Amino acid sequence: MATGSNGARRIVSLLRPSLVDSGVCRSCQQTLGRRNYASAATEASPSEASSTAAPPVLKPVYTINAGMVLSRAPLVTRDLEPFEKAYHFYQKRLNERLTLPFTKYFYFKRGTPADADWKNKIRERRTPARDIGHYDPYGPEAWNDELLVGSRESDPEYQAEMLVQDAESTANNTSQDTSKREEIPRPFPRVTEADKKGDHHSLNRLLPRTLYLLVQSNEGYWKFPSSPVEKDESLRGAAERTLVQSAGINMNTWTVGYHPVGHHVYDFRHPRPGQATGTTLHGEKTFFMKGRIMTGQANLSANMQNLKDFKWLAKEEIPQYVLPQYFSNVKNMLSDR
Amino acid sequence: MAAREPSRYMARALPRALGSTARPQGIACRRFASDEAPARRLSSQMDELETASSLEGTVSEDVAKSFDPVAQANSRKTQLPRSRYQFRSPKYYRGPLHPHQPPPPSDPSSRVFVPGPFSSPRAQQTYTSTIAQDILALCYVHNPPGFKPPPKAPRLREWDDSPPTIRTGPSVDRVVERITIHSHVKGAIKENSSWLHVAGMAIQTISNVKVTTYKSKTSVPSWGVVPGRDTCAVKAELQGENMYHFLGKLIDVVLPRIKDWPGIKGSSGDSSGNITFGLAPESVAMFPEIEVNYDMYPPKMIPGCHITLHTTAKADKDAQLLLSALGLPFYGKMIN
Repeated sequence: MATGSNGARRIVSLLRPSLVDSGVCRSCQQTLGRRNYASAATEASPSEASSTAAPPVLKPVYTINAGMVLSRAPLVTRDLEPFEKAYHFYQKRLNERLTLPFTKYFYFKRGTPADADWKNKIRERRTPARDIGHYDPYGPEAWNDELLVGSRESDPEYQAEMLVQDAESTANNTSQDTSKREEIPRPFPRVTEADKKGDHHSLNRLLPRTLYLLVQSNEGYWKFPSSPVEKDESLRGAAERTLVQSAGINMNTWTVGYHPVGHHVYDFRHPRPGQATGTTLHGEKTFFMKGRIMTGQANLSANMQNLKDFKWLAKEEIPQYVLPQYFSNVKNMLSDR
Repeated sequence: MAAREPSRYMARALPRALGSTARPQGIACRRFASDEAPARRLSSQMDELETASSLEGTVSEDVAKSFDPVAQANSRKTQLPRSRYQFRSPKYYRGPLHPHQPPPPSDPSSRVFVPGPFSSPRAQQTYTSTIAQDILALCYVHNPPGFKPPPKAPRLREWDDSPPTIRTGPSVDRVVERITIHSHVKGAIKENSSWLHVAGMAIQTISNVKVTTYKSKTSVPSWGVVPGRDTCAVKAELQGENMYHFLGKLIDVVLPRIKDWPGIKGSSGDSSGNITFGLAPESVAMFPEIEVNYDMYPPKMIPGCHITLHTTAKADKDAQLLLSALGLPFYGKMIN
């Protein structure tokens, strides 16, 4: 099959109008075809033009777009895998078994309320560590350090709760004023209101993930904000202008670097006449700059790019909205986390 | 099937070839390794793990409830002799031919085993999820095909057998490799060793690493330092988890609370990507570990320290970019 199709390819490449030599391998042909400036220079020189008998190459004309992949960095640490939780917990108990005993005398002066509180606690949980459950690292049952099915000790939420409870009881047992109870603030929840409501417009959703700004055009297609590069405009300048024109000025953003992080090529089914110079356009090439949002929020009310909606989406949610071809082109510049 | 394949290819390709082509025909389906990169979720790849009895099947509720390892062990009538289940690593290594060999260092029964990691540090996660890719995008240098960058004079003299100490050329790969906390204890020379004990305890507390002490190598008459006699410094080397936790505490807790702290001096650095700055004793006392039982330290004896951030960057400029991305500001004239 391989030889047969290779032969067919060779015939097709002979039939194809092309400047390049058929002796050059396919991948090199492509590279040569991409060198627009170089091939333009060779065509310009008269001696070259007279010597080449091959028909002139049809150079495609594309609209060059600049896009902005605006992202919100993760705000909290990622959710740990069950294996990671179990591993960290196992190492903690192992550490209790292998290290020297806790130097109590350094941290608690004899006869103080803190010392009495400490004695109560160590009698109950048998170990100085506050977040590994009831475990006696030096006793005869120290070998029994594995968690049973259904126990919550390896869960970070449980451990945080234990630490807070310990701090609370210490504060209550050692304070002079017994009338009022001390309250230690709990850590904020990792799941926010926006997550529960499924509000895709909020920047407060999916705190452990990177969120990307996607906009919907009036025709209903989702994409990263992008628009054609104007004359005498840099890629970065065009991307920043696109962002302001599409999502408003109420955002404090930072464009990372001057190089695009990815590109998307879209070929029209049939070449269209271009608006500006009467050339025939064969498609669009979009180059994406990377951006980070610091503060603010997108606002499409005054947009000049014919957009009707926006969403902040994580990487996994993007394929539900964009076309498969688009996603396969942009997915590698999106962060896994 | 195989015979029909070329003709099918022809049927598809010929109309395209005869019509006007927009661009040179590429390979029909290009495939990259990254196209097939799996989503990095461990739990979705459990089927790729080696099969083990613990991973297969589910345990019914009542069996899980009734399982009590301690009761089982206590109900056992006879015990195995200790030598059958307790392995003791030999105290000394007696050569590769000795029958009693020490286990590898990763084995918990090894004498050099160090437990850990106990957590996944936040500073490290920020680095991998945000900073690393931003630095890659910022520092990417694009060379179009056919373009060769003009040769640059080497920063350091070329060495034939290029030892690892020589590092030249720009690099995008920048990580904090290790952190050194060093404290010169003047009181230990002038007065007594209690200064050294307190300094060691304080540095050990904030770094979670056992400190090493150092004697002076040179004579400084004005300080009263005699070489080889006085122990005058403590040092802790941080790597991995300890390093990232220390970095997180430093950046998010201690440095923002220092009054009028201008940042790290722009001229700091050894021109190979290692940046040093100092902390005053009152700043060291702001570390949460010291703050919780500040009363236990003699306030006069809490040491100041020098913190060196060793990065893989090859020039100070690159290290400054990395550290300012991590949240350490620089001030003054930036010198590479």
